[in-house]
Amino acid sequence: MLGGFSVGKTSLVKRYVESIFSDSYLTTVGVKIDKKVEQLPDRVVSLVLWDLAGEDDIGSLRMSYLRGSAGYVLVADGTRRSTLQVALSLRERVEADYGAMPFVLLLNKSDLKEQWAINDAELEDLRHRGWWVRASSARTGEGVEDAFKDLAVRVTR
Amino acid sequence: MEGLPASVAQRLQELTYSQRSVAYLQIDEKLSLIGSGGHLENYGLATVRVGQPVFDEVFFLQGLLPLLETPYYVPAVELVSGRVADLHLHNEGASVWVVLLDVTSERDAARRVQQKAYEMTLLQEQEAVLNRRLEAANAALLVTQRELEASRQAVLSAHEKLQRELAEAASYVRSLLPVPMVHPFAADWRFVPSAALGGDAFGYHWIDAEHFAMYLLDVCGHGVGPCLLSIAVLHLLQAGALRDVDFRNPGQLLAALNDTYQMKSNDDLYFTLWYGVYQPISRRLDFGCAGHPPAVLVDPDAGAAQLLKTKGLPIGMMPGVRYPSESLIVPQQRYLYLLSDGAFEVERADGTMMSFDEFLAMIVDPASSDASDLDHLYQTLTANRGSEALEDDFSIVRFAL
Repeated sequence: MLGGFSVGKTSLVKRYVESIFSDSYLTTVGVKIDKKVEQLPDRVVSLVLWDLAGEDDIGSLRMSYLRGSAGYVLVADGTRRSTLQVALSLRERVEADYGAMPFVLLLNKSDLKEQWAINDAELEDLRHRGWWVRASSARTGEGVEDAFKDLAVRVTR
Repeated sequence: MEGLPASVAQRLQELTYSQRSVAYLQIDEKLSLIGSGGHLENYGLATVRVGQPVFDEVFFLQGLLPLLETPYYVPAVELVSGRVADLHLHNEGASVWVVLLDVTSERDAARRVQQKAYEMTLLQEQEAVLNRRLEAANAALLVTQRELEASRQAVLSAHEKLQRELAEAASYVRSLLPVPMVHPFAADWRFVPSAALGGDAFGYHWIDAEHFAMYLLDVCGHGVGPCLLSIAVLHLLQAGALRDVDFRNPGQLLAALNDTYQMKSNDDLYFTLWYGVYQPISRRLDFGCAGHPPAVLVDPDAGAAQLLKTKGLPIGMMPGVRYPSESLIVPQQRYLYLLSDGAFEVERADGTMMSFDEFLAMIVDPASSDASDLDHLYQTLTANRGSEALEDDFSIVRFAL
């Protein structure tokens, strides 16, 4: 799970693994590791999820956390425009160090659409570049399960 | 521990082992768990089974093994148990050792600081967003304010222009009014147009050597339109410009005016009119009334008033109307008042309306020594209203017959 701070990475994992959501914000330091067994149409996959501390300073990201990863979830907060830039930069950094691997970009907090700060044209542009872009809400669960399942399919293909 | 006395090195090992809750795992090249020990229970690993595939026992090592780099360090890993460990991995022969050192308290301390910093940053971001919205709202408000100010100026300008036009129209009406006269009998008047300019106009003139016309009209509505009609009628009366009409006969004149000024061809305007013809030698007064307030003949000595009124619709409301005339011989020492409704339909400050009877009392009551004074009459009305501005034109003409 990669993204700027307070974009909802931990909440997304909690929603996906435990099906719960909490409004209180507790920042992640280091990494939190969870596991979810996912039933795909043709196989069972164990997803080990590394929820990394949010970093707006891309240079301070510990790349050692990414060793051995099969794919990643990029998370941005749809209500904070700057977090999309952070996500884009993180993705460049990961590709530079580990090469291309499957990922999905989640625009989180879709339940706050009235405060949305990222326009559809930008997202369309990313999709045209072949990105998997999804709206999600850890609060309501919208798009969460599908995003992780999609990624599971792609990393095990 | 090179360079440290054995006792210190020993103490350090003891401290690290107890305070860092040291635990370890040993994995062989087939990725089987071949050894474990230390404070495994601290990390939720008390039940790991030696001899089993390591990923079945310790799922978080997936991706880290086989070890590509030694030693390898993964800091601050929060495990399912809730404890946080630094993971130190290194090779020794064919085995990989994983050493876990508890850093939960350090992580918690770092998190408290980090949390404060992030919350502060979030607040600053929210403040910046709010400021931008506030600035946008302010800018929109300024635009609206400027538009409002421009509209206000336009309205003010239009109002001032209208006021000038109304004042000019009032001035023109005034210029058409006759001058007060004293011979062979006195005639005096007061005309105070309302702010919005009503449709009052009046006049008197000799039709011939024996017949003296006196009249007061009031066009419905306010503004320049009614004013123009009142001026047109005034001109017509002054010029006697109605073919085959005897201006000495009030009933005939009113009927002719009614046929000439039908409201459907005059922008829905109609007017009321009191018209009289006085013969000083015989003291005969013929008069007719088209929906107008009655003229008042006052005996100042007796304090009595006689209302001079005939039946008749306002001019212009319906074609073909007949207007009766009446006549009387005016006794000596009488005042004749012509007036418009604006002279008595006055709303007081308390919201009640002054009645016509109250107006009559003002002009006939001998106790009011100044009651016949037209200026005093106007001042009394404005005092009743509580304002200098009357809602309608104030027009009154007094003849001392």
